[in-house]
Amino acid sequence: MSTGLFLGLSPLLIVSLGGLLLMVAEAFSKRRVDETSDDRDAGPSSELSLGTTVTLLAGAVFAAAIWFVGPEKLEGASLVAPWVIVDRFTLFFEFVLCLGGALAALLAGGYLPEHRLDRGEFYPLIIFSTVGAMILAAAGDLLSLFLGLETMSLGVYAMVGFRRASLRSTEAAVKYFLLGSFAAALLLYGGALLYGATGHTDLAGIREAIANVQPGKGPNFALVITAAVLIIVGLAFKVSAVPFHMWTPDAYEGAPTPTTTYMAVAVKCAAFATMLRVLIGGFGEGGLESWAAGWPPVVALLAVLTMTVANLVAGQQESVKRMLAYSSIAHAGYVLVGVVATMRAGGDAQGSVMFYLLTYTVSTVGAFGALILMGSRGAEAVSYEDLAGVGKRHPAAGFAFSLFLLSLAGVPPTAGFFGKLYIVKTSIGAGLYPLAVILLLNSVISAYYYLRVMVYMYMREPAPGAPIAKPMRSGYVATALVVAGVLVLVLGLWPTTSLQIAVEAALATR
Amino acid sequence: MSPLDFVFQYWPAIGAGILGALVPRGDASTKQRAGLGFITALTTLFVIWLWPTEGAAQAAKVPGEWPHLLNLLIALPLVGAAAVLFIPRQMLSLLRGFTYVVLGIGFVASLWLLTVPMTAGWHFQYIKDWMPTLGIRYHVAIDGISLWLVLLTTFVTPIAAYASFGSIKTRIKEFCFALLLLQGGMIGAFLALDLFLFYVFWELMLVPMFLMIGIWGGADRVKAAIKFFLYTMAGSVLMLAAIIYLVWTHQKLTGDFTFDYLALSRVVLPKSAQLLCFWAFSLAFFIKVPMWPVHTWLPDAHVQAPTGGSVILAAVMLKLGTYAYMRFSMGLFPGPASNLSANLAGVAILGGILYGALVAWKQRDVKRLVAYSSVAHLGFVMLGLFSATPMGMQGAVLQMVNHGVSTGALFLLVGVIYDRRHTREVDEFGGLAKVMPIYAVVFLIVTFASVGVPGTNGFVGEFLVIMGTFLSERLGKFAGIHTVGAAAGVILAAVYMLYVVQKMFFGPLTNPKNKHLPDLTVRESLALAPLVLMIFVIGFFPAIFLDRMKESILLHHNQYKVVSGQAILFADERDAKLLPEDTFSPAFLKGMPKKEQPEAPAAGGEGSQAALGGEGKVAQ
Repeated sequence: MSTGLFLGLSPLLIVSLGGLLLMVAEAFSKRRVDETSDDRDAGPSSELSLGTTVTLLAGAVFAAAIWFVGPEKLEGASLVAPWVIVDRFTLFFEFVLCLGGALAALLAGGYLPEHRLDRGEFYPLIIFSTVGAMILAAAGDLLSLFLGLETMSLGVYAMVGFRRASLRSTEAAVKYFLLGSFAAALLLYGGALLYGATGHTDLAGIREAIANVQPGKGPNFALVITAAVLIIVGLAFKVSAVPFHMWTPDAYEGAPTPTTTYMAVAVKCAAFATMLRVLIGGFGEGGLESWAAGWPPVVALLAVLTMTVANLVAGQQESVKRMLAYSSIAHAGYVLVGVVATMRAGGDAQGSVMFYLLTYTVSTVGAFGALILMGSRGAEAVSYEDLAGVGKRHPAAGFAFSLFLLSLAGVPPTAGFFGKLYIVKTSIGAGLYPLAVILLLNSVISAYYYLRVMVYMYMREPAPGAPIAKPMRSGYVATALVVAGVLVLVLGLWPTTSLQIAVEAALATR
Repeated sequence: MSPLDFVFQYWPAIGAGILGALVPRGDASTKQRAGLGFITALTTLFVIWLWPTEGAAQAAKVPGEWPHLLNLLIALPLVGAAAVLFIPRQMLSLLRGFTYVVLGIGFVASLWLLTVPMTAGWHFQYIKDWMPTLGIRYHVAIDGISLWLVLLTTFVTPIAAYASFGSIKTRIKEFCFALLLLQGGMIGAFLALDLFLFYVFWELMLVPMFLMIGIWGGADRVKAAIKFFLYTMAGSVLMLAAIIYLVWTHQKLTGDFTFDYLALSRVVLPKSAQLLCFWAFSLAFFIKVPMWPVHTWLPDAHVQAPTGGSVILAAVMLKLGTYAYMRFSMGLFPGPASNLSANLAGVAILGGILYGALVAWKQRDVKRLVAYSSVAHLGFVMLGLFSATPMGMQGAVLQMVNHGVSTGALFLLVGVIYDRRHTREVDEFGGLAKVMPIYAVVFLIVTFASVGVPGTNGFVGEFLVIMGTFLSERLGKFAGIHTVGAAAGVILAAVYMLYVVQKMFFGPLTNPKNKHLPDLTVRESLALAPLVLMIFVIGFFPAIFLDRMKESILLHHNQYKVVSGQAILFADERDAKLLPEDTFSPAFLKGMPKKEQPEAPAAGGEGSQAALGGEGKVAQ
């Protein structure tokens, strides 16, 4: 055991320790919700939310610190490889996941007390889910990968069903739990078959073993292909790619909005990290990466389906939350385009995927956060009608929501535009012209439903007699929105540095 | 260092200092304010001092040209828009006054552009690295073509603002914000010479215009606003794909990433890619112009938009389509532009000039009629560009300005009558000349300008375009037919415009509601006066305008001729090629990114490969 190892694992350790401490703090805390009280500061959220945010940000800071030291200089960090790989790829994702988790925790700090859900369990759940997500991003072995996946998912299942009294929330949790376990089982089954075919559970070993298999020959090839299909399907469930997306709208809609935010950013980012690790790291050789016999056309088809179906359906929604759920599916489609490009264009394209996930994280947190801000006790903003005239009555909230929606739509000079531009750039560089054009046309379709929100906010008035949405007052939510807003603008106007970091992180895996 | 230079060099520090002094609450002592201001100023100075300047590429300084002038023109409205957000919405006169001041300074500053003789090549060039690793630079410059369009923008927007504040009474703050943002976006798009920068400004314009139509528009405004946004965005994303393809091709040929228009002009794409990219660019521009058959958003947008929005939309935003076609489609893909010009000219005549005129004739809503007349007028502009003769192109640029002036005035006039009667149906009116004599006279003058009666601006532009079409070699044996069609369009324009004038202003005053309409108010006449004056200034003294654009047009034309020949000659089925540097005039290539040594990309965001000097050779 060396200090290098501890340093390398420090983001994980710090977040886990912080989670344990917060659990203890919660258990001994005198703050309990009084259902009759209107004092929003009485519950545990008022201290736990900040504690969670600080813990997760500390994880992010440590990840950044190791980045600057250089993970390759840490002696002994390779002792835990391949179960936990400490490289720049991991660090990048640890940073993004912690950032997403921290912002979601801030949102929860405003949302839970406002809607009388203020129970302390939420915060340890979010922290331990993030630990799972970080392990998932760092896993170089199918076993630790599964471990991370389950750690992450179990927390999220509980968070989805956090509104115990609500039928929709429970339904969402059960649905998500069943389909999520199913997906995990598929992944596990794929892993088992791979182990049978190659004798390895670590991705590097699998990669080597596959490289020697000739397509069409050898007894193992059918097993490897089956395993690959199972694993891709399992991952597609997790990133909610069409046609494996059916659970997403219901789960996203039924869950409390901070949970939805967390699922949309952290769970999705971690799933994409795994996807990159497995597809590039595990199936990156031996014909499986080729356009003729490998996974790229499958993923390309998934991408096209995901983008198009999700965008078309999103335009039909009457609930903004459900629309944002479909929009997050559509964004998964854009990222999948980048994943396909990675196969041909290499590190640059993988960097574009990772940069996109970063921009998507800040824009999505902002959009959901703005939606949270629009509602108040007893009147959560859900449908378009709820937002009618908000832009006029509460200009700052409306402006923030518009900024994040424009970023999601990909209008310059926001982060979302630059993320999309970079994915298009690499996919055109990789010669995937149809995919790039489909992506761009899809972003036009998506502009329709994002604009619709702006139409309701600025150009409609609430129907006479209809309840008028009253934004909540919460320093936590406001802070999260300000941070996300600044990041959206900074990543849109000066993306060079973060882009280079993403590319550098991507190069670490190859 | 003169005091002005000092202020300019250290403006962030000075601004931060003032901000720091203002931040404390009202009861803070002077000492505290001074201290805070000093600390913030020092911090900003520190940041300026540490700012990486190595990669900053500077164009050669030209005496008499203040390099920051264009930055001022772009940044002033954008900063102004941000500042508007912090003005309380109750302070209406402050909001209005602030908007006037910003637009007014912009107009006065843009007059400075006229002091420099517009020789061929770029003027007031300013280049700075933005994202060096991607080869994206902040590169703005002006030439004789964009000069007039920038001046048109700075000239028309204050008028539109002044007129709007007469009729728009709700949500003034949002209106000021949208107007200033729009102004910044439009000027930026006219000045950008980096395709990425151009795209950013091009998209930036969409949001404020969307808000303008959607918030202050007519009954069906939301549909019109969304239609406008989606149409334009659909065009521009395809352009984005083509831009990126072009950049990649350039990268494969030279090893350098650059979004610079000048550098990318040298690329000759393979034949099929050339055609696709040409269409991707041109479709975006044709939608904006708009050309038949992608013009259908325009009547809706115009009819629903508030008067000020219509004026800006017609006078400036449509010009972005024609300007961008001239600059980028013809500049980057001269081969297809040249091969297709006869067909496109046919579309411009049949679909634009003739169809637009016939549809305009059938309209009963005056605003819709003016909107369709725009389709017809811009058909002339496009025809001038397709003819690709110096005369036709000069006519086209002049006609862009003319259309901005006369159609802007027409929309203002339609707004006047709409404010009084809340209807725009031609049948509702008749004999207005008896109750509103001044209005009738102004309307008649503007109609003459729009029809192209000699002595007004429309005549000069249309005459040049028709002459250019007749003389055009590109249009080949069709030149004669095209000329006949275009001339027929002029006659049709007279038919539909004079028909409206006759119906509205002459004959008996039948409708009792019209008996007591007040004539033009002071505000309305003040808004119209500069436009009417410009109609005659351009009509009688076109030389001052043509003279300043002549050299740039000639350069553009010669280059188009040479490069399109080369491009057609060299275009290959499979491979892209790079034209040698001496195909282009050195004046055109001034400011192109130069590579001194092939270096590894520098880490940490401080690029070094885009350094450039006056004369260097691009590694090939």
